[in-house]
Amino acid sequence: MGTIDDSELLRSMLAGDEEALALLYQRRQGAIYRFALQMSGSKAIAEDVTQEVFLFLMREGHLFDPAKGSVSAFLFGVARNHVLRRLRVEQLLSPLGDDADQEGPCLLEELTRAETIESVRKAILSLPAKYREVVVLCELQDVSYEETAEILGCAIGTVRSRLHRARALLLAKLRPAEVEDADSTAVKSARCFA
Amino acid sequence: MNDERFDETMLTRALQALAAEMEQLSTPPEIETKLLDAFRAQQHATLGRQVSSRYWWAAAVAAMLLIALSVVAIRWRSEGVNDIRQTQTTRQVSPEPVKDVEHRAENVTPKRPTRKRIRPIESRRPQNTEVANHAAREIATDFIPLSYMNLVSLQDGGQIVRVELPRSALVNFGLPVNMDRYNEKVKADVLLGVDGLAHAIRFVQ
Repeated sequence: MGTIDDSELLRSMLAGDEEALALLYQRRQGAIYRFALQMSGSKAIAEDVTQEVFLFLMREGHLFDPAKGSVSAFLFGVARNHVLRRLRVEQLLSPLGDDADQEGPCLLEELTRAETIESVRKAILSLPAKYREVVVLCELQDVSYEETAEILGCAIGTVRSRLHRARALLLAKLRPAEVEDADSTAVKSARCFA
Repeated sequence: MNDERFDETMLTRALQALAAEMEQLSTPPEIETKLLDAFRAQQHATLGRQVSSRYWWAAAVAAMLLIALSVVAIRWRSEGVNDIRQTQTTRQVSPEPVKDVEHRAENVTPKRPTRKRIRPIESRRPQNTEVANHAAREIATDFIPLSYMNLVSLQDGGQIVRVELPRSALVNFGLPVNMDRYNEKVKADVLLGVDGLAHAIRFVQ
């Protein structure tokens, strides 16, 4: 059963095979959940989106066209739509951006690995959605440029340019903290000596 | 330039670390349970829809068959009526129409044979009904129903056909017969409905 590809599983599922759904879910839920979590920063939204994606697959799975891409890309596309809709509804985009901007000078202040990762995570969440999704897909989900282009419905060149821009934005958000790091250390030292 | 490369490298490492940290994250098991429950419910609903749609199809086919059979029956009946009308026309023309009517009259059990009062034909002539015999001096019995008389079938009109019957036919309707004239014939008006069937008869003198 493990060698059956996603398209076959989807076909079986649409024919009423519950085991096929279970297998497809176990195979793809992690990536969808992580994508939604990395896009929204909210576990609740990520869980809801994952559930909605598979419910959509159960009801509208016949919309999948193998000629247009893989089942994985189809699921990511559905997840993306759900995430963006949820983010629009809950207006999480701008507060996250503002928070990140406010926290910008303090990023990477602590040089522990966990905090660095957390800073990067926050920096990703502060990106505009169109840059965030390419970072999440290409950098975090390890999805190919081609598949990302299928998911986003744009050209591969667009994916590359957005990713380049997204990385630049991330660096811009993370770099000032590092630049200031020396100054703040000096200030701290001065304060300590004071 | 070196600083920038370092930053790029650092960013890549941080992204990889973030991806690795989140790699094991997955949805809680309740979601899978909920999904499978929803899937089962959907399958039941789909099955129910299929069954009900089969019933609908069966009902539709049955209705179509019923309509087709009704159409055939109506045609068959109307053709029968046309045949009867044609036969009646022939009877009116032919010299021996009486025997058929006689036969029919013999087979029918009269339902109201008790009304034997004879009245002038003019006084109880129904409106819009053609009178077979315009002779004012004729007297006739009331119409005696030959079978169950549906008034609805007479509302659209009817036809009275004058026939001759053996006097012995009067016995069948409970009318007195003069045995001296037993072999003679008696005139009668047969009331035909639009369906071509004889509904009533009256005897004329």
